[in-house]
Amino acid sequence: MDNCEVPSKKVIEFKPPVYEQRYCFVKNLVNRHGLRKIADLGFGDATLLWMLKYHRCVQYLVGVDIAARPFEWGGGRLSPGVGGYIVPRELDLTITLYRGSAVQKDSRLCGFDLITCIELIEHLDSEDLAKFPEVVFGYFSPGMVVISTPNSEFNPLFPASTFRDPDHRFEWNRTQFQTWALDVAKLYNYSVEFTGVGDPPAGAEHVGYCTQIGVFQKNIAKATESSISEPEEHVPEEHIYEVVYTTSYPSLQQSKYFRLTLSSESVKAIGLMKSRFLRGLRKREGDRVVPLGSCTPQFGLTEAQRAEIEQSPKPYSVGEKFYVPLERLIIYPKVNHLVAGSMEKLRTILAEGLLLNGDQSAVQVELVDYQTQRLFDEHLISPVLESLMEEQDEYSENYILRAVSIGQTTLVAIARDKMGRKFTSAPRQIEITRLE
Amino acid sequence: MSGRARVRARGMARSPSAAGAGRALAPPSPASVDLGNSEASSTSGFVGTSRMSEKCEDVIPSGDAGCTFIERGGKIRWDFTDLSVCTREKLAHVRDCKRGSSGVPVKLVTNLFSLDLPQDWQLYQYHVAYVPDIESRRLRIALLYSHKELSNKAKAFDGVILFLSQKLEEKVTELSSETSRGKTVKMTITLTRELPARSPVCIQVFNIIFRKILKKLAMYQIGRNFYKPSESVEIPQHKLSLWPGFAISVSQFESRLLFTADVSYKILRNETVLEFMTGICQETGMSCFTQTCEKQLLGLIVLTRYNNKTYRIDDIDWSVKPTHTFQKQDGTEVTYVDYYKQQYDITLSNLNQPVLVSLLKSKRNDNPEVRVAHLIPELCFLTGLTRQATSDFQLMKAVAEETRLSPLGRQQRLARLADDIQRNKDARFELETWGLHFGCQMSLTGRVLPSEKILMQDRVCQPGSAAEWSKDMRNCKILSARSLNKWLVICSNRDENVTEDFLHCLRRVGGSMGFNVDYPKIIKVQENPAAFLKALQKYVDPNVQLVMCILPSNQKSYYDSIKKYLSSVCPVPSQCVLTRTLNKQGMMMSIATRIAMQMACKLGGELWAVEIPLKSLMVVGIDVCKDEFSKGMVVVGFVASINPGITRWFSRCILQRTTTDVADCLKVFMTGALNRWCKHNHAPPARIVVYRDGVGDGQLKTLIEYEVPQLLSSVTEASSNTSAKLSVIVVRKKCAPRFFTEVNRSLQNPPLGTVVDSEATRPEWYDFYLISQAAGRGTITPTHYNVIYDDNGLKPDHMQRLTFKLCHVYYNWPGLISIPAPCQYAHKLTFLVAQSVHKEPSLELANSLFYL
Repeated sequence: MDNCEVPSKKVIEFKPPVYEQRYCFVKNLVNRHGLRKIADLGFGDATLLWMLKYHRCVQYLVGVDIAARPFEWGGGRLSPGVGGYIVPRELDLTITLYRGSAVQKDSRLCGFDLITCIELIEHLDSEDLAKFPEVVFGYFSPGMVVISTPNSEFNPLFPASTFRDPDHRFEWNRTQFQTWALDVAKLYNYSVEFTGVGDPPAGAEHVGYCTQIGVFQKNIAKATESSISEPEEHVPEEHIYEVVYTTSYPSLQQSKYFRLTLSSESVKAIGLMKSRFLRGLRKREGDRVVPLGSCTPQFGLTEAQRAEIEQSPKPYSVGEKFYVPLERLIIYPKVNHLVAGSMEKLRTILAEGLLLNGDQSAVQVELVDYQTQRLFDEHLISPVLESLMEEQDEYSENYILRAVSIGQTTLVAIARDKMGRKFTSAPRQIEITRLE
Repeated sequence: MSGRARVRARGMARSPSAAGAGRALAPPSPASVDLGNSEASSTSGFVGTSRMSEKCEDVIPSGDAGCTFIERGGKIRWDFTDLSVCTREKLAHVRDCKRGSSGVPVKLVTNLFSLDLPQDWQLYQYHVAYVPDIESRRLRIALLYSHKELSNKAKAFDGVILFLSQKLEEKVTELSSETSRGKTVKMTITLTRELPARSPVCIQVFNIIFRKILKKLAMYQIGRNFYKPSESVEIPQHKLSLWPGFAISVSQFESRLLFTADVSYKILRNETVLEFMTGICQETGMSCFTQTCEKQLLGLIVLTRYNNKTYRIDDIDWSVKPTHTFQKQDGTEVTYVDYYKQQYDITLSNLNQPVLVSLLKSKRNDNPEVRVAHLIPELCFLTGLTRQATSDFQLMKAVAEETRLSPLGRQQRLARLADDIQRNKDARFELETWGLHFGCQMSLTGRVLPSEKILMQDRVCQPGSAAEWSKDMRNCKILSARSLNKWLVICSNRDENVTEDFLHCLRRVGGSMGFNVDYPKIIKVQENPAAFLKALQKYVDPNVQLVMCILPSNQKSYYDSIKKYLSSVCPVPSQCVLTRTLNKQGMMMSIATRIAMQMACKLGGELWAVEIPLKSLMVVGIDVCKDEFSKGMVVVGFVASINPGITRWFSRCILQRTTTDVADCLKVFMTGALNRWCKHNHAPPARIVVYRDGVGDGQLKTLIEYEVPQLLSSVTEASSNTSAKLSVIVVRKKCAPRFFTEVNRSLQNPPLGTVVDSEATRPEWYDFYLISQAAGRGTITPTHYNVIYDDNGLKPDHMQRLTFKLCHVYYNWPGLISIPAPCQYAHKLTFLVAQSVHKEPSLELANSLFYL
């Protein structure tokens, strides 16, 4: 077959490739409807499942393929991945792959929101094709079905004149597919809409899409009757398929990962507060050292959020410990989102992984750790002010605007009073809280 | 060897040559950008009922047809390249037996598992050619695997080379397949080699098989090891996750094929690069933000959130924002924001972040095109610990508590792994189809060498425990010491009192050990590094014997500036002591004793000795260490004994610019050491034994071809008639085998002085394991010794005992250490130079252990 030199018809190239367009079609459908439980019949190399696993709304993914082999799925791309453990999903996700046929009944496939049969039916012989509607629509009876198949009217545009794959038993034109689909829909009380992917080239619009797609939707009346969520009541257990691979994802619905995520978000917020605390001016109040300025991170917050945080109780330090009141922590958007604003939840869960103070109102961490050590090493740390302005009466109101440190133990404070007059204090020795 | 030093050493293990690499190509052309999602992009066109396989991912390098498997190198693991260096066959005296005889036999449990194969087992290597040629490795694999002929056979395939455990009927098999686009592809499978089980290629295939099996056991491969995230331990206060797992390998040991598994932990940080950058920005402000970011981030390994891959940050492109577009592989343009939303349902929160640039290694060696990956900081996680983190005591304590396993705990983990492998249906199936039988955990017999006597000036003491004999040494006189008459103490104004107290103690303990310490001149200075340095410049002259600095904090700048000045500019031995150390009440005497000993050594004194039966023996330690600041520089340290008692040392050090850790200057050093020896002993040494530490993976061959000849030539040149006999021993502190002893139905670390020279050793080497250090908690890692050159012809027993003796004479620790003292001295020297001095220390100091 060395006849490459024979001029052939121009090969049509799709951008992106048609297979990708088909998958994207399903993806968009899943997103639009927020589908939770999805099965892919004839999952092939599992690319569709892999694409769907990233969706937040998806919770169950099932693949069925007649040629699935167990060993090939160990640690593959359907597994959660390292990142999946570090940033767990919001909702649980279970992925299961079965070896089985689309014309065999298995009760584990019942009650799905969507079953996709991408480029599947053309591989079925007439006997299987006849059984197919009864199994998928009648028995599995999902909320939606997506069936895609080649549009034979498009074939003349390809160089090869036969079927697109030697394993194809048939390739239908639009009328053939639509007739079949409408019959099936009618029989099992679904409504169907037709569309496709792979636009025909200019001048050949009449042939239609390269791939034709039927989207079947279960009619609502029927759906409420035969309740999608509780199929087991109607369907006796029937396990024909062989499990080839199964995995569950870590998620915030699992207490271990919820606790981890909440504590690490809290510790991150506290870390930023701590470095601002150490860099800003502080003063001693009894055994506490409190910040004079703001301790709110400069980044990642809206103006409104910052203002709200400013209102809340400030962090403080006692000795070598740093305390952040839970009332402040809970305002941080990520923390707030996780506990849904519940102070009790925040307290209980943080107490499991972190240290809280005596009355459980604040988180306690070390003031000096490897991240703040740098502030000490590089003298970025600012001193504690001890009541700079001693001679004050009820008429004076001080705002410390700026403090200039001279050497390491001497400080000059510049203040303005209510009248806008500027005062500069005499340089004075300041006690620096030594933190060993 | 302080804990701090060890911690520091570990923190440096960052990749050395990161900085320059990415720069050259910035800004990267968007056309060649790969977003690190090759999973998504390389399946082009092949859909249908056949599927792709995850098999032999990255393990077998794919390359040109015709090249043999092993020659294509690059990714071949060290133990295979090093194992092909057969040094034993050249050493006549150990060709038949390399086992020692002295000591008490001890039964040891190991972390090795037997792996049995049928007698006549063979591996068949095939070459697979595709017509027309197909680029995609995935497609190549999928097409081949979809064939019925191969579907039920045990196989490993990288796209070019196919391994089968059963021979195909024909020498050349022709198959054909069609892609979904209707293209007919002809595959020709040609038998190229039949390999016996001992062949290195087979060993590599076995490793691939076990990788697959561990993946099947729900473990994740990160680097070379496998981890179990479902059993992770969290340390939330430090934003860390610890994943337990295993380092595994299959290799040919002394008499059989063995599977090795060692417990390992992966430290993962719950911190994205974006969060890290935000932290930097808040601390440093915008002025030096970009420089600080680059300084801290370049060279780090990050893990992407979405696709389980690791990348090295080679550059940061500040000009590219997530809202910019790039070209996908199919040619369409998309913004980063949209791409991550569409592909992974991830919404980027910060649209001003720059992108990280990572150079991708070309899978095919002949491909000159450099590809880069653009990564979004928000989606990248930092891995490993920074130097700051490793020096955080609290953090390291928390990590150690979780990761330090007792021998029993370790054994339980191993037993569970073995059990999992044997029970898992798929794992068993895979092993069976290959004809492998996973056997039981191996036990062997080691020997505990007789304990050593410590020779002091006025008596010989037999320590109660060889782990530490400081108690036994109380009131003993050290071998020799020069008296300290003219010396300086520099301290801050505030530390005057504590210094006085300490000096009092020091003089008292000095007196009792036979080290006369006169009262020093005390200089009080301000509390900052510059003031200390100024005092040194003003007061230190060549007549000063020693300078002691009482440092107010452990800030690196104090130590570095003092050591730099006194090691190279004005060579005088120096002793730094932290105020904090002196404030430890109740421990003053023991602290003063240790410091007095160090000072005595720095003046050229000798503390203790062990009996060395060989007369006229010189021992040498060599270590190599990467310089902390100048990337691409390595520090080579060379320490040689210059008296038959092995109590006095000659130490040299050099900085060399090189890409490998191979020492370049050994001839000069060796000649210098021999001259020094001759001066002291009036004749060259009869024997020289060199211990070489700091050898990287796969460097054994270079060492033999490059370093041994340097040493040999200087030895032959040094003497006119009979030249000294030379032995060279490679010392490795990291090795896979672990040994435990069974005591009262529990497991413990083996006794000090345990030698293993059978079963767990390698047939092609003259090697042994020695346990010469004690561990209070955790499991001991034995030290591996590989004698790569040996003219001396010492009996293996003598070689082992000499090595053990040398582990006793490290003067910074009154007890046994894990490696021979000359190696530890060389390490200490290179570490000081690499961390603080960054310059060759003055030759005037070479006769004393000034770096202790």
